Amino acid sequence: MPCPNLLSSRPSKYDPGMSERKTRVTVTIDPRLAAYAEQLVESGKAESVSAVINGALSERVERDRRIRRRWKELAAQADPAKVERMLAHVEAQRAQLPPTHR
Amino acid sequence: MSEDDGAVPPSYVSDVSTLIAIARGDARVMSLVQELDAKGWPLIMPALALTAASLDSRSDEADELLEGLELFENVTIASLQDAEQALALAAVIARTGLAPWDAHVAMVADSQVCPILTLDAAKWRPHLGDLDEPLHIVEIADPDEG
Repeated sequence: MPCPNLLSSRPSKYDPGMSERKTRVTVTIDPRLAAYAEQLVESGKAESVSAVINGALSERVERDRRIRRRWKELAAQADPAKVERMLAHVEAQRAQLPPTHR
Repeated sequence: MSEDDGAVPPSYVSDVSTLIAIARGDARVMSLVQELDAKGWPLIMPALALTAASLDSRSDEADELLEGLELFENVTIASLQDAEQALALAAVIARTGLAPWDAHVAMVADSQVCPILTLDAAKWRPHLGDLDEPLHIVEIADPDEG
């Protein structure tokens, strides 16, 4: 007969953040940042220093994604024919430069 | 140089006008930068020109668009690496009378032997002969808008 406590503690659905296998890496960080991470762990605000670093990197990934998305959205508003003409104009000027600058 | 011969094509150096357009979300210039990057043309963004573009807009959105340049494969940010470069910049400022950010653009274009990519060719024309070797510009414009 299965243990009721174990069943009730199982996550109701797959959580990649909990289940994903972690990769062990060695990194060097500023002492003040290491101390801050330790402080977060000691005060119970983070599970581990690794969790702090993981969280910081996740935020960076999300930020870079957001910026890439914004770039794409704005660039997509340009008239492609106009951009093509501008690009051709840039390349035509380049072709007229001295060989050292082409 | 052909893009198909496997060699890395020479770079462009973006000036302040180009970076201000990006900071302001100018779709045409942003799309052009995307196209150049996709074609494998290296783009150099002088750090002081980025500073000037950020000063023009002073918004988080503008700064994020400028920071987004670092995410492109063929974009390089040119900083001042050491005292020698900082002093070389002072020499370019003194010689050209350009603002520090424009002088940084000129210095990078001169040292990397590549043209300046600009929306404001008129601004550069009086300075093309200021250094030992001539500077060259490539203007971003739609010829049909003449």
